[in-house]
Amino acid sequence: MRMPGLFAALTLAVMAAVAVAPAVVSAQEAAPASTDPRIKFKDGERYLRDLSETFEIPRDEICRELSRYDCSNKAFRIVLGGVDPYDARVMQPLDQATLASPIAFDRVALQVCANRVAKDRADPAKALLFKPASGRPDRAWRDALTDRLYDRILRRDASVAERDRMAAFLEGVEGRTGRSSRGQSEQTLLACFALASSAEAAFY
Amino acid sequence: MNLTPSRRGLLAGAAASLAGPGLARAARAPGGADPRFLIVLCGTGGCSIVDSFLAVRESESANGSTLNAWPDQLVQSPGGGPFRAIDFASKTIGAIPAPFTANQSDFVKRHGQDMMVATYTGTSVNHGVAEHRSVTGNAAWRGRTLQEAVALTYGAGKPIPNVHLVNGVSFTDRGTDDSMPSSVYGERAPSPNLWPLSLDGRKGVPGAPDAKLFEAARAFRNGTLDPESDFVRTFGDSVRLKRWLELRGAPLKDIEGADLITQLMVHSDSEDMPLRANGLKSSPLAKKVREAFPAYGFDPLESQAALAFLLIRCGVASTVTLGPETSAVFNKGAALGRGGLSAGDMRNTPIAFDFSHQAHREVQSLMWSRVLSVTDRLITLLKNEELAGGKSYWDHSLVYVATEFGRSRNRPAGAMTFGSGHDLNNGALIVSPLVNGGKMLGGVDPDTLMTFGFDPLSGRPEPGRHMTEPEIFSGIIQALGIETPGAGLPDMRVMRRKA
Repeated sequence: MRMPGLFAALTLAVMAAVAVAPAVVSAQEAAPASTDPRIKFKDGERYLRDLSETFEIPRDEICRELSRYDCSNKAFRIVLGGVDPYDARVMQPLDQATLASPIAFDRVALQVCANRVAKDRADPAKALLFKPASGRPDRAWRDALTDRLYDRILRRDASVAERDRMAAFLEGVEGRTGRSSRGQSEQTLLACFALASSAEAAFY
Repeated sequence: MNLTPSRRGLLAGAAASLAGPGLARAARAPGGADPRFLIVLCGTGGCSIVDSFLAVRESESANGSTLNAWPDQLVQSPGGGPFRAIDFASKTIGAIPAPFTANQSDFVKRHGQDMMVATYTGTSVNHGVAEHRSVTGNAAWRGRTLQEAVALTYGAGKPIPNVHLVNGVSFTDRGTDDSMPSSVYGERAPSPNLWPLSLDGRKGVPGAPDAKLFEAARAFRNGTLDPESDFVRTFGDSVRLKRWLELRGAPLKDIEGADLITQLMVHSDSEDMPLRANGLKSSPLAKKVREAFPAYGFDPLESQAALAFLLIRCGVASTVTLGPETSAVFNKGAALGRGGLSAGDMRNTPIAFDFSHQAHREVQSLMWSRVLSVTDRLITLLKNEELAGGKSYWDHSLVYVATEFGRSRNRPAGAMTFGSGHDLNNGALIVSPLVNGGKMLGGVDPDTLMTFGFDPLSGRPEPGRHMTEPEIFSGIIQALGIETPGAGLPDMRVMRRKA
């Protein structure tokens, strides 16, 4: 059966559109700037509760400074936007991030990621983030890792461009970490840290 | 150790120079060559000058039995100088069986030559309002605080110029002068013992990657991941996000580059603070700091003072604000059960000086003694550290004991234990080699116990005159050598050294 000319043209147009779909998605990634950009800092407690759930680590084990002091409740409570009316008499969260806030946030993100990667290494059957490549780490391994990280940390899919960027980063650090299982776990930790300490992870 | 001027510090100075004519002059003040350090010690609750250096003896007052004139034998005149002192012991603090011995005269003997008391009358008996006015001089200079003015002038090159160690008070509220660079506004260090851990993103984290890899991950985040994310593209104009991204740049590098997680670590390796097991270590100066403030582990004021010294000594800050917390502090192991407390077990009264509402004399004595003891030890540490050219850190420092107000003067006839209210009339203690030391500026009327003022140029006592908050603010600013063109501040020459 011959397709009518108009139908054939439409079909070709649709196929062409599908073929250039990545380009269309890429163009759509240039999100417009908000005219009313109101965001809130995800304070330490909210941040750790979220990661506790998604990293499947009990809240009271997920981040402890010097293995003793809870990162949010004790060590960095005020610096990470909390209040402490009874002991420190700090009734309101800080208006502005302090100089120490982004450093402490990095520290917490690194601890949480290191904690999860260590658990993954210790019990591969229950690994969430770090899953060694069957052979040499390749693009597929990196994409799978990226997908797991975006899903667990930001709770959304990574875009094509985000996969590309993460893959480029992982390839870039591979020279220092090596390709061994140890090196792969280190890459996992670095990628986890970068994403877990990103602006998107810190604010909502 | 002095930290070299940083890019951030230079930028802060540059920003200040663009902010306005007055600020431009201030920014050119000698930030590196001739540093100054301001220590604001907050006497929360009203530390009363007539219960310390302007105490009046009962025999000197026509109304001694019904005003807060002290028994003659308790009022000392140490060293023959202009300052009086109360040395007082009591078995109770009001109804609380908490024996203590308080001493003010030792401080006068040791530091009388650097002490200056300036009387003044404030404008508010509301705690929060009066606290803020005590550091802004009731908005004497566009609303900026003393700490901010010092950080602006002397903070260039310091990673954290203005550090607030005390919590829950308005002595540390931000000033209302928005023209200054954000670097001069106070940085809160809410828990001095653990705060240094927040000054490095990697050191001491179990399983952390090496520094180069960690920085590579940060560079990826800062240079690619964030700027190209939909989130930052969408919300990039948010003030909160802008500040966050800025802080991740030069300020973060300055702080981590100075290794403050080590330099400011007072604790030794211990079960409570397992530093070594986590790859961390104490400050090289920690031992002498711990010896000076042995209760640093449980007494908030001592932990603040320990960190305050390190912040100054290590070139981190040009001003620190500390003070007694408003919670009761007891000695470790103090028994609160039957039999009451042992002598000295109560180190800090609840609500600090303001517990004078319940037991005026006991609280004033205990809390003054506490504040002076910590100040003495801080001064001693600073005196023993050479800054440059044979001059010690103390030679460049000024301690301002800030407080909200004085206390009411009346008492039931002959009573030793009584409560007091808030009163605008008081005086300020300033201790520094930079001020006109050994001077009592103004005086007290023995029949009313109200203080009176002085001539700001000659220092001549002027009964009937009341010095103002802007005048005290100006005197401190000028003693610190801060230029104030166009600010309209009064000349308080008598408060400056060699006036």
